[in-house]
Amino acid sequence: MILTRLLHSKWLKVQETCGVFTNELLRIFRDPGVLVIFFVATLAYPVLYNFIYWKDNIENVPVAVVDMSHSQESRAFLHKWNAAPDISITHYCTSMSEAEQLLRAQKIHGIIYFPSDFAVCLNTGMKTAHISLYCDMSSFLYMKAIYLSCNRVMLEDMSRIQVDRYEAMGYDKQFAWELVQAAPYTETALFCESGGYASFLIPAVLMLILHQTLLFGICMLGGTAREENDELFRLPGRRRGYSVLRITLGRSAAYFLIYLALGAVVLLGVPRVFHLPHIGDPIAILKLLVPYLLAVIYFSMSVSVFTRNRESGMVVLISSSLIFLFIAGVSWPQQMLPDAWRYLSYFFPYTWGVHGFLHINTMGASLATTAREYTALWLLAGGYFLTTCISLWIMGYRHDHLQQTSAPE
Amino acid sequence: MKEIFRNILSVTQRELGRMFIRPLYMFASVGVMVLCTVFFLSIMKRGAPERMPVAVVDKDQTSISRRLCHETNATQSVEIVLITPNFADAREAMQRGEVYGILEIPVGFYADIASFKQPTLHFYVNNAYTVGANTAYKQLLTMCNLTSGAFQREVLRKKGLPDYLIMERIQPVSISAHLIANPWSNYAIYLVSTLLPGILSLVVLMITIFAIGFELKMQTSRDWLEVAGGNYTVAMIGKLIPYTILYVVLGIGCNVILFRFLHFPVIGSSWRLMLAILLLVFAMESMAITLIGALPTLRDAISIGALYGMLGFSLSGFTYPVMNMLPPFQALTWLIPLRHYYKIYVNEALMSGPTMNTIVPMLCLTAFFLLALIASPRLHGALVNNNYPLK
Repeated sequence: MILTRLLHSKWLKVQETCGVFTNELLRIFRDPGVLVIFFVATLAYPVLYNFIYWKDNIENVPVAVVDMSHSQESRAFLHKWNAAPDISITHYCTSMSEAEQLLRAQKIHGIIYFPSDFAVCLNTGMKTAHISLYCDMSSFLYMKAIYLSCNRVMLEDMSRIQVDRYEAMGYDKQFAWELVQAAPYTETALFCESGGYASFLIPAVLMLILHQTLLFGICMLGGTAREENDELFRLPGRRRGYSVLRITLGRSAAYFLIYLALGAVVLLGVPRVFHLPHIGDPIAILKLLVPYLLAVIYFSMSVSVFTRNRESGMVVLISSSLIFLFIAGVSWPQQMLPDAWRYLSYFFPYTWGVHGFLHINTMGASLATTAREYTALWLLAGGYFLTTCISLWIMGYRHDHLQQTSAPE
Repeated sequence: MKEIFRNILSVTQRELGRMFIRPLYMFASVGVMVLCTVFFLSIMKRGAPERMPVAVVDKDQTSISRRLCHETNATQSVEIVLITPNFADAREAMQRGEVYGILEIPVGFYADIASFKQPTLHFYVNNAYTVGANTAYKQLLTMCNLTSGAFQREVLRKKGLPDYLIMERIQPVSISAHLIANPWSNYAIYLVSTLLPGILSLVVLMITIFAIGFELKMQTSRDWLEVAGGNYTVAMIGKLIPYTILYVVLGIGCNVILFRFLHFPVIGSSWRLMLAILLLVFAMESMAITLIGALPTLRDAISIGALYGMLGFSLSGFTYPVMNMLPPFQALTWLIPLRHYYKIYVNEALMSGPTMNTIVPMLCLTAFFLLALIASPRLHGALVNNNYPLK
């Protein structure tokens, strides 16, 4: 008898949770604003970003040459350098001032300068031959393209010149080679082989898009409820009492269901369609997605308590995307963050989510290797679940008490 | 004429009341700008990445391999956090994001190098974290090149060559790189000086849309026009005056902090940069009027504004050059005020280039005003008739 009553009451609670869940789904699908954020933004942003960062590595940065040595050696160097995909020699100038004007006018982004004694130094072998490189620092990608490609040509040339010199000293060619290349080396980009901007940034942005659309959407739903005097802490259709647990579970289940599908499409689909790095195990990514979504949902539900209008969350929080991106230590190395910011970043689900995703998706780590991030996300999910419940309860408590005190007036 | 000024003043007074009654406006403008300024300047305080963690797979474990570790560790840009004989350990550390690079010293490195057998060093970087990886890459590349150089020096010394001749043999060519206006390759100078105006422009866009759209939503727009004596222009000017002053103070304040207090380089004229901030604020306000005029529903305008505003950072081309974008998106960059501001910033602060390169983007920023003019009749209609959905 008691058992059936217990079961019955439990069943009621499950039924009520389901009621909250379907009610929330209806609210989402009846609200065009939320639909735009949840579905259009989540699916359009990844495509837009891929179109903007279309070329993974930047190509053909225009540079000018000032060759005062007019020698075979400098021409050979330029020939090799021009073959690099990173740069393209567009101007040959007769003086530095001419090249400088081009650079100031932003027609070119770098200058290479060979002094007049370049060939003499190389051929006599008495002095180091100098090359000067001037880089436009308006974008570090220009600098990287110009400097690294030039350096590569220089290193390649250098070994040859060194061997020539030792041969001139009377050393055997084989011996000279062994001396110059005493310890040859190989360089490997272990993960994200292209080293391009898109393959580095877009995977991180995908996680951010999921985070921000959820945050804005949930704030919008919360603000709408406040505007309509819909009491979020009550079960739908009830006028009294509040059941924080059932409501939190029911509402989050609705977001979770939608985002599990969207997240799978975005995290698994986009890297494959746009040829971004995707060497990870899809199942591991989905396993990571579960605590990430829960943590983000409860984080957003906790934040949404503070939004009074459906649009105000977006106005205030729009700049947070940049802060999340930088504080997570993706665009800027985590080791360079001051301690205070780094500790703060541990409270944001994005910090753990993005590293976890990069480790699995881009770097092929297993879920076991990513255990730190995975555990942290579950802890955050639990923590923000509690803050959501508490803040809902406070909201309801204050609401009822305000009503009671204001009723007699 | 007097009437008009009095009306403008009364609209401004009305707006000041609205501005301070809700914490949103101050929080979303002053709060956000102060937070972002402190945040970005403090995280990039040290300028360039230093002491990036790397691992060494020391399979040799001799005095030479230890010396190589020691010398790598003595550099400013990397720090060895893991020395292991096992490559899998290092790879896993990389997969956990603990190291950005791995240097592998092969078995018998010492014995082989001493007997001219050319043992091969391997180094690996993790490009998933591009800034850390680049720093580690440059340093490991240098270390590997120096290893052969150091060996040559030892051999040549033993052969009795004087040091000045040895140097020419070890390094016959050298590149000296001149990084214009930012010789420290300081990331704060590169990023923050465009990021903060970018955040400001986002703030201007969102708050202006909200301030106008909220009148529509709360159906107070007729009251607003009434205070303005039924004149749309007066209403708009009166409303935007307090915000504009606030934004310009914030923007100029940021630039003063960057260029006066922190001495970020300005080779050209810092006054023109200040003017550029002013024009950026006007352009963003015009864009906000255009958006709310085109979509006179707060919800739609805010959503589209957010989408447009966030894309502005990418499309301005300050991290990823515009010339590498898809052509339609290259065309789209003309619609981004931040793009024009960035051009002025590069020309004035970094290049001190021809004045035309400042004037043309300034004219482009001014041209956004025309967009606002085109959208105004529609917005005026919406303010009078309140004939668009409220939510």
